[in-house]
Amino acid sequence: MSERSYSRRAVTIGGGIAAALGIAAIGVTVPRLFRRHYAASPYDDLFAKLIDRDAALPVGHAALEQWNGKAPTRTMLAATLRPRLERRTLAEVSNAELAQGNLREVQGWVLPESLVLLCVLAALER
Amino acid sequence: MLEPDLAILGGGPAGVSLALALAHTPIRTMLFESGGLEFDAATQALYAGREAGVRYLPLDGSRLRYLGGSTNHWGGWCRPLDAIDFEKRDWVAHSGWPFGIATLKPYFKRAQGLLEAGAWVYDRADPIMGSQAPLMPVGDGGVYTSWFQFSKTRDGVLPTHFGDRYAGDLKQIPNLRVFLHANATALNLSANAASLASIDVATLTGRKIAVKPKVVVLAMGAIENARLMLASNGVATTGVGNQNGLVGRYFADHPIPRDTATLVHFAGDLPGYYFNGAQAGDAVLRATFAPTEEFKRTRKVVGSLTTVENPVEMTELDKAAIVTAALAVGADASNARAYSLGCGLELEPDPDRRLTLTAERDALGMPRLKLFNKVSDRDFQRYRDTMREFGRQLLAAGTGMIRLNYSTRGEWENALDWGDHHLGTTRMHNDPAQGVVDANSKVHDTSNLFVAGSGVFPTYSASNPTLNLIALTLRLAQHLKGVLR
Repeated sequence: MSERSYSRRAVTIGGGIAAALGIAAIGVTVPRLFRRHYAASPYDDLFAKLIDRDAALPVGHAALEQWNGKAPTRTMLAATLRPRLERRTLAEVSNAELAQGNLREVQGWVLPESLVLLCVLAALER
Repeated sequence: MLEPDLAILGGGPAGVSLALALAHTPIRTMLFESGGLEFDAATQALYAGREAGVRYLPLDGSRLRYLGGSTNHWGGWCRPLDAIDFEKRDWVAHSGWPFGIATLKPYFKRAQGLLEAGAWVYDRADPIMGSQAPLMPVGDGGVYTSWFQFSKTRDGVLPTHFGDRYAGDLKQIPNLRVFLHANATALNLSANAASLASIDVATLTGRKIAVKPKVVVLAMGAIENARLMLASNGVATTGVGNQNGLVGRYFADHPIPRDTATLVHFAGDLPGYYFNGAQAGDAVLRATFAPTEEFKRTRKVVGSLTTVENPVEMTELDKAAIVTAALAVGADASNARAYSLGCGLELEPDPDRRLTLTAERDALGMPRLKLFNKVSDRDFQRYRDTMREFGRQLLAAGTGMIRLNYSTRGEWENALDWGDHHLGTTRMHNDPAQGVVDANSKVHDTSNLFVAGSGVFPTYSASNPTLNLIALTLRLAQHLKGVLR
């Protein structure tokens, strides 16, 4: 059995690397741990277009509050959004709508229409 | 009896500019200024009146009555009118000047010189200021980055007060006499009402002078010019120049609603020239956002000038909206900063926004005025449409976003302030049925009476009026040199 010896310097460097990797791993993992988990939904194909579904929720709720009970149903929203988002990214749709002036306001924020409808759908399906 | 060639009534920016422009001519000029060299409460009280309708500033609070006039409290903001401002626009009732911008252009740079506003760089400031710090890219659309320049003294102190600055120059003019504390109280028409025969001038101490000039120029500001014309009803019972009932109508100012919108800049802090004037050579410039000419035509909006005011805190909803929108267009908003926006708006001309005489009298026996003020829903909506377009194009460019802060009339009115820019009460039009003065600023049907100042503007632009009214006054000076040859 051979006995390996480690210098204090090597131990310090190795420990530092291990600590850095640990912090990095926590940095990656913790937000995922704390990010809200959503139950499976018939609209997941649409929600997949949202990069940050958590951030979309307050926007959707604000739009619902503004519409004061006159929001379309989830089925209607999905039926509107699916043809627009099928085979296109949200960025493509948003940029096209901005170019066309197809806009909605949510508490004054000027936003592309499909983005607002997607936020509303997310708020209804929370 | 004083008998000058020319009597200038009023020693504000128009009156002083006119006197300076005629300095090297043989025209014997007298300038009558109501105030002295300093503020005096008793003189200022002559301005008091009543206001009705949409909340407005007190009539004695939005002007100053001593040599230099309202340049004694102005902010020094300068920007020329745009070419479209002169056009008859089918979406703006009562619009159209009798001439285009080319008529006024030869006088702009001299006006800029009188205002000590530095080199004329309004239309080429993007690269100049961009070399100090990059401009916020606003993308393609209906709103572009435009520029104010600022009047300043030689030491860079803002702005030029015409009384302090030019009192000495006026004294040096051989053919000019300046009368201080001298108030015009009546314009006396000839018996056939075809010309002005004389003027009554009075002091608050009880002295009275009769003046019989060959030509008279009213330069007392849009409110007092109209007041004197309406009150001078000894021969023509409706007043001087008021045969068609237009004197005092079409009053306007620039509404300045505060915190109208929130601008988010994704890339972080905006350069200082968006908030304050920044030096560039001998000029001081500040960025503003204005609707393009094409956008005005296609979307039927009018002028507006939007400025960045202060950084503002973002709510949780704001942050969510910013993150969601930025991600949706593929932009990085991790350094986003939010700012409140203010603006100056152009109003659509409205004959019912008007000045009328009341039964109340001031210390000189002059009838006091009542202002009925109005802002239409369409005036607000046009600005809202412009800012919505700004929000669209910023997000399309991936550089920022806009939140519109007001949607109801009550919200707009609560935020309303005013520019102290009095406009339109003696409007210019070739047709006497539609204007008080003709294209040369002469009162229709009165052969020797002219009006200077922004009261003759038939439409108002969103630009601050001082630079433009001085350019127009310099043009009038050129015309008077011919009239009094």
